[in-house]
Amino acid sequence: MNSAINQAYLKTRASVMSGKLVDETDIKSFLHAPLQTLEQQFGLGGLSDRGLGEAELNRVIERGLINTLMNELSILLRPLNGSARDILIYWSRKFELYNLKALIRGKLHDMPYDQIRESLHILPSLISLPHEQLLRTENVPELLRQLEQTPYEGIARQARRVFEEKNESFSLDATIDQRYYTGLLKHARNCDQDDQPTLLRLIGSLIDRQNLPWLLRYRFNYKLSPSETYYLMAPSGRQLQADLLKQLVNMQEITQILHALPAPLNEQLADTTSIMDVELAMGERLTHQARRCLLFSPSAVTRSLAYMMLRELDLKRVFAIIQGRVLKLDEQLIRQAADIKLEAQGV
Amino acid sequence: MFRPLPMKQVLIQLLKDDLPQASLSLAELGNFSPYSAETYAESFPEIPGTHYRGVYHQAHSRLQKIENHIQLNPASSSFATHVITEPELEQTNEWLGEVWERCSAYEEHFRRLTDEAQMLNQLEQALDNFATLNIDLALLHGDRLFLDLRIGLLPSANVPQLKEAIGLANYLLFSYMENAGHTHVIILGPKGEREHELTSVLDTAGFHALEIPPELHDEPERIRQELQLRRENLHQERQQREAAMSACAEELRPRLEQCRDILIMAEPYVAMDDAARNIGELAIITGWVPEQALHQIESTLNKTLQNPFRITATTPSREQHSQVPTFLPTNWLTSPFSSLVKQYGIPRYGEINPTLVFAFSFIAMFGMMFGDVGHGLVITLAAWLARGKLKSFTPFVICAGLSAALFGLLYGSLFGYEHLFHAIWLPPLSDPLYMLSMALLWGIGFMVVISLLYIHNRLVSGELSHALFDTNGVVSITLYLSVLGGIYNLYLTGHFGIIPASMSVVTLLTLLAFKLIETHATPGERMLVATIETFETLTGYISNTLSFLRVAAFSLNHVALAIAVFTLADMMEGTGHWLMVIGGNIFILVLEGAIVTIQALRLEYYEGFSRFFSGDGKEFTPLKLSLEGLK
Repeated sequence: MNSAINQAYLKTRASVMSGKLVDETDIKSFLHAPLQTLEQQFGLGGLSDRGLGEAELNRVIERGLINTLMNELSILLRPLNGSARDILIYWSRKFELYNLKALIRGKLHDMPYDQIRESLHILPSLISLPHEQLLRTENVPELLRQLEQTPYEGIARQARRVFEEKNESFSLDATIDQRYYTGLLKHARNCDQDDQPTLLRLIGSLIDRQNLPWLLRYRFNYKLSPSETYYLMAPSGRQLQADLLKQLVNMQEITQILHALPAPLNEQLADTTSIMDVELAMGERLTHQARRCLLFSPSAVTRSLAYMMLRELDLKRVFAIIQGRVLKLDEQLIRQAADIKLEAQGV
Repeated sequence: MFRPLPMKQVLIQLLKDDLPQASLSLAELGNFSPYSAETYAESFPEIPGTHYRGVYHQAHSRLQKIENHIQLNPASSSFATHVITEPELEQTNEWLGEVWERCSAYEEHFRRLTDEAQMLNQLEQALDNFATLNIDLALLHGDRLFLDLRIGLLPSANVPQLKEAIGLANYLLFSYMENAGHTHVIILGPKGEREHELTSVLDTAGFHALEIPPELHDEPERIRQELQLRRENLHQERQQREAAMSACAEELRPRLEQCRDILIMAEPYVAMDDAARNIGELAIITGWVPEQALHQIESTLNKTLQNPFRITATTPSREQHSQVPTFLPTNWLTSPFSSLVKQYGIPRYGEINPTLVFAFSFIAMFGMMFGDVGHGLVITLAAWLARGKLKSFTPFVICAGLSAALFGLLYGSLFGYEHLFHAIWLPPLSDPLYMLSMALLWGIGFMVVISLLYIHNRLVSGELSHALFDTNGVVSITLYLSVLGGIYNLYLTGHFGIIPASMSVVTLLTLLAFKLIETHATPGERMLVATIETFETLTGYISNTLSFLRVAAFSLNHVALAIAVFTLADMMEGTGHWLMVIGGNIFILVLEGAIVTIQALRLEYYEGFSRFFSGDGKEFTPLKLSLEGLK
């Protein structure tokens, strides 16, 4: 990403595209906007007229979300090359990792072929695994043998060890996530010196959002030991650095951990009572950080990555609203799904 | 011959129980292409055979995986067929599942053996490392009262995180060697309640313990012999497994081939997919058949179906042409040319079949550019000798060789020698300008034929305005010919001529007017786009025509290369001279032969195909008895 022209072009592109992002007012207005206009606006035209079942509806909506994201990603990728291009592509691999987890979980629980297939995202060939071939495998070892022939070989080998030693899916998921975030950091460190500081800050926030709720889950839900919990953390978060994580994993209560967080994180999380609340609060922090990067970062690739992260969050919320409205769900439930602050009844 | 076969849309009404038999019979005939007709979805809402399809796909996938381990003989082209019932298919699937389980176990075992062999390599390197250390290895063994000590290796990428993590359990990690993505480590810490915690983290991190023999220092040779023995055992085990696998393959092959035949017979019903629909016991099959095969289909179904059925055939309307598959009949001679046409695309139903035009013009242009009796005959002979490898492309290469030989006779050239016999026409280098003008004439003829094909195709599609006024339409070709006529007049008399000039202006304005009507934009943009497109139509014709100059240029190039070879050969004497002549001719054959083939194809695709057919038609893919239809 050396060319000044490319930097300027990409910043302009990201800036133009940022016009598509929605704020809280927009999100709230979507709750009452005509459904057809909403579907049209987000590339899901005619969705409500098709009379789809719940599973099919989920699938169509997810496909719409990923299609939109991938189309926009391909626009941002055009002027990029080398490590800057690699990091954006690597970020998008998270969707394929969702598929990978669904495949492993499905095989582990001996789920039928069609059921696993329904839960897979359809992705562009750039990041997609040979789904049909993997779906036709008949058990986890065979699936992992097949995966060892794909670009996910490293993850597959690691997953095989975890599977052979522990034979449980959550360890596999954790290992896959840890490898993904470690890989994302590695890609950021391979970028140009000019891009690195802001990229690492943004990815650090992303890792913090991942680490804190999972630290709480591993310690208090899964009852893992401090050392194993620490091992499953992605290293080098922004505020939750290695030394702090080491202290946190040794604590015995959630409140103790939340109080030990650095300011202003501890203040923001002071009122949270559940891991879900912590996750939501961390999500808000990440959104805030990404918006700052999108507006002020001197690095074009950081702006592009920030845009993609925000766009994904936005589309998830919008599609949750569309999905809820097509299924005629209760508004409060839709608000909850779309992470819109609940309003008092009758207001 | 010049058009795809006329097709009929057929609706077969039958009883649901007859669907598998009807599918099988249609596949045996090989001239029915299933088509999902949504119009019947309401009257016949059910799609039969969902479970059958699922079982088939699993069985097919299993067979494919098994075939990676057990090679089967090619399927016989004719075998006694029968309808495969669901229980028979399930039984086959079940048995294939058992076989695959065995194959998978072998695969997993081989994988384990490979892992073990790699571990042995790692261990050997670790021992080499320990052997050079001046420590008592016995200290690393046995239970210790206060110290928990482990030696092993893990993926290098996991080391930093693991080191930090086990530090929390008061353990230390030292790495002493790294190789092939693995790091050898020693982990030690206080014995006690956190041992279990450590084991769990080590498992997650992919830690493999290594056994360091305590007697390594005292008896290194014996240890090495033991390692060698373990390696040999692994090798032996692998060989035994491979032998067992081959024995298993021999034992299973006949039944596997039977299973493959069962799947081949089951596939037509599966391939019907939603082209077969039913409501209760009443079912329909919809699809396309060549008109000429209709009677054969009806009589075959009459013989094979037990219950009454009704077949209705309708001619597709012009509006339906985009849905009709294109059936391009081929024979041994036209098959390779048809393949090359398909590389570009499939003509839409009703459009001209370009295969014959392509075959004739390609062969002619190859000969024009590569005219040499000797080279042509060598190509023909080589194609005949390599017919096993060239397969269906043998006639293509033979035709190209014969065309080169024929033009060689016209040019009077034999292996580059131009004085061995008298040219029937003329040697290219004797009058290069004449050759270039001939190439231009060929190009003009080619462009006119291509435009006529375009006009025909548009008329067939009912696009009269495009046939008349669009680029390549009647107006464009008139413009092209009047400009050419004017230029010819200019060359002969120094005047463009009133008739060509007025025709050029009228056609140009007509073309511009059509473009203005066709362009949907703001007035300014519309004018700009229409003007540019009109101009582009004219320049396109001219530049495409000039492209054909390469036909003459390559015929001249062929002679020039031969002259270069002879000049070099004349610098040598005796054997050197003849080696140079032979080597030079081989060089011309290979290099120029390849270039001329590419150039001729380029002219066909870019100057020809791109002008008259869109290539977005659907190929007629009939149901067949094979496992290749479904992926």
